[in-house]
Amino acid sequence: MKKLKQLFDENEEHFTGSGKFKRLEPLFDATKTFFFLPSPQNRQTPFVRDNLDLKRYMSFVILALMPVLFFGMYNTGYQSGLAHGETYTVLKSFLIGARYVLPIIIVTYGVGFFWEVLFASIRGHKISEGLLVTGLLFPLTLPPTIPLWQVALGISFGVVIGKEVFGGTGRNILNPALTGRAFLYFSYPVSMSGNIWIAAKDLVDGISGATALAVVAPEGESITGALSQAGFGLSDLFLGFVPGSIGETSALCCLLGAAFLMITKIANFRIIIGGIIGLILTSLIFFFIPGGSGTWMNAGPLYHLCAGGFLFGISFMATDPVSAPGTNQARWIYGFLIGFLTVTIRVANPAFAEGVMLSILFMNVFASLLDHIVMKSNASKRIPNV
Amino acid sequence: MGNITTSKKLIPPLDGMPDISIIQLPTPKTIALSAMDIPYIRPKLLVKENEPVKIGTPLFCDKRNSSIQYVSPGAGTIKRIVFGERRRLKEVVITLDQTEEYLEFDPIGLKNIQKAPKEDIIAMLQKGGLWQGLREFPSKDTADHTRTPTMIIVSLNGNDPFSPHPGIVLEKKSDLFKSGLKFLKRFSPNIIVTAREDSLQRLEKIKHDISHIVANTYPAWDPGVVLYQLKTRVEDNRAWCISAEHLVLIAKFIETGQYPTDRVVTVTRTPDRKPHIITRQGAPVADIIGNMAENTLITTGHFNGHLVDPESHLGFFETTLNVIHDQPEEEMFGFIRPGLEKPTASKTFLSCLLPTPKKLDCNLHGEERACINCGYCTRICPVSLAPNFIMKALLSDDIEDALSFGLWDCTRCGLCSYCCPSKIELTQILSKGMDEYYKDKQ
Repeated sequence: MKKLKQLFDENEEHFTGSGKFKRLEPLFDATKTFFFLPSPQNRQTPFVRDNLDLKRYMSFVILALMPVLFFGMYNTGYQSGLAHGETYTVLKSFLIGARYVLPIIIVTYGVGFFWEVLFASIRGHKISEGLLVTGLLFPLTLPPTIPLWQVALGISFGVVIGKEVFGGTGRNILNPALTGRAFLYFSYPVSMSGNIWIAAKDLVDGISGATALAVVAPEGESITGALSQAGFGLSDLFLGFVPGSIGETSALCCLLGAAFLMITKIANFRIIIGGIIGLILTSLIFFFIPGGSGTWMNAGPLYHLCAGGFLFGISFMATDPVSAPGTNQARWIYGFLIGFLTVTIRVANPAFAEGVMLSILFMNVFASLLDHIVMKSNASKRIPNV
Repeated sequence: MGNITTSKKLIPPLDGMPDISIIQLPTPKTIALSAMDIPYIRPKLLVKENEPVKIGTPLFCDKRNSSIQYVSPGAGTIKRIVFGERRRLKEVVITLDQTEEYLEFDPIGLKNIQKAPKEDIIAMLQKGGLWQGLREFPSKDTADHTRTPTMIIVSLNGNDPFSPHPGIVLEKKSDLFKSGLKFLKRFSPNIIVTAREDSLQRLEKIKHDISHIVANTYPAWDPGVVLYQLKTRVEDNRAWCISAEHLVLIAKFIETGQYPTDRVVTVTRTPDRKPHIITRQGAPVADIIGNMAENTLITTGHFNGHLVDPESHLGFFETTLNVIHDQPEEEMFGFIRPGLEKPTASKTFLSCLLPTPKKLDCNLHGEERACINCGYCTRICPVSLAPNFIMKALLSDDIEDALSFGLWDCTRCGLCSYCCPSKIELTQILSKGMDEYYKDKQ
């Protein structure tokens, strides 16, 4: 530990002041502060400061994503086994899954950090911790079979257009990970459309497996019946043993992560709870509207909650504080409307099987408007003091 | 008796609580009158170096209103006049004589406190250097004696969680305190007296004068927070406030006609529990602190104080000195340690589960980043502001928006800066916005 510190101290001169690698100062600084938390003396009042900093804040989101990530790896291998007509052991499933998932994560972090370092060097600011989270969220929203060049392209779009053009972390309007995914979704629908999401490339047959949201019941059957026939029983959807994007399949793991984030107060519970309420109410309304018994309109709240990426999106994407509103009332509305829009898109627009990505991005745009309305109304309630 | 409760109990319990015992410091060799802790003052010197002064001799006045004078807390010769940046007056240092003489004012007497002409009392206090104890909201500038405030808030507790215990400050002075309240009655019919829950047990004698009990969580007893909870109309925004200690000084001055010089101060230095100290106003900081380790900071309040130079002297408003240690080493993987010892307002360290008092240090624990809108500052603000939104309004020069969001209600308690994970200097940005606006208005 002391040697490492010495190494940093010895090399610091090359990266600061008039050193040879001055341009790479942000990279050096990010590496150094990763190992050694900087803690200069305060020069401004108050002279005591909380121990929580942004590195820890973002690390907690990474921690919350761990169950989702590990289950995602396992499930990728498990689904691959099913496609081969076999049932792999837990370890084998996990290792096969890791072979698909890890390259995606590595490419995402590699390309993402390249852009981050480039922008930080040119602008001369520090590398922000926001990328740590973006770089793990983005791969988890992708199908395991996605070509790696598309991963690189997607994260580039997300980081550059979604974040850096606005000035970097803290100034972006849209969630960068979702921006990247939306780019891929509309540019390369073939890899994202949900029909070939099972990681079993070497098979000629049996590679197509629709995701739950793409299921439509035949005439006269109910959607729930059709879903369980297609292998999407409620318990499968809840536990996550179904094909889908890497991170989205297990409702249970998403709920674990959400609970961790809410207990540590890293994510705002109003967004998550508001979103779930919105989804349940809207799906109930659609449930009681007559007709549409063979479509997702009639699926009811539990299926809507467990299928697709809703829980993943509302727990980890919608709660990104930068693109979410900053006032409590606005957070309730924001969460609720995400739930509402998700169901509405799923039911009313068969062209987009998955609505949560679009509804979060849509509400991101409205977040500052909601904040504006809430701040104005709060201001009018105060006793004026000018 | 009213209760002012607050649901916000976010500050971890702090280590270093001063002991209830009292010690008296010997008379120091030098004493000074500081100009640094008087908000907005533009001092005009009235004396020169090497001039002899008595206790009560005016040393400087405020250029904005020269009838408000600031007087010498000791008798002797002026040793040095210290200036700081931009030739701003810092302090006037006096070498004390063996026997000290008072500049005598005509005592009005406690009996006459309700009968004597109001103008006479005001003039006496302004000349005698004690009018400055009365502060006016929202700027906390010196009170404007021509106005009648809708309420006057008397705080028994000081700015810091470890300010002197009111039971010790008011010991054997409850009559003076009661007379002081009568004096305040002449300015406003509505006198609010607030005391912290945990300081009540030593306040038996003045129990019936306390109008509101406030929660034990910093900064619930801050007069600005009390005002925010109590105000019902626009006129209340310009209430006055005074600390109980200054009120007692005023009463004593009216009684005797001599400027009172004794003060009670606390020194906090974890993990010690230091006694309360009785010393002179303007005593040297080094005498009060004793020897101190390297790399420590001395402040006049954990969250809302300013930095104190160990060479300087105690100011009129300063009642506590916090010696805050430096955390020597940069921590390896500090961002992911469980942190059983680390004080935090968040829920991200295991320490938030333990109710034991935590040791604070004077380090930043991170680096400055852009605001991520996490809302920690909004959650902790005692006057329901949204410091992140106000900060953005101020940075884009939109003072109207900042004011409509309640900027003037800010009490500069420092909690927003304290808890910000992006380490943004919110308190400083908000303070600066308020100061600039106030100076523009003058």
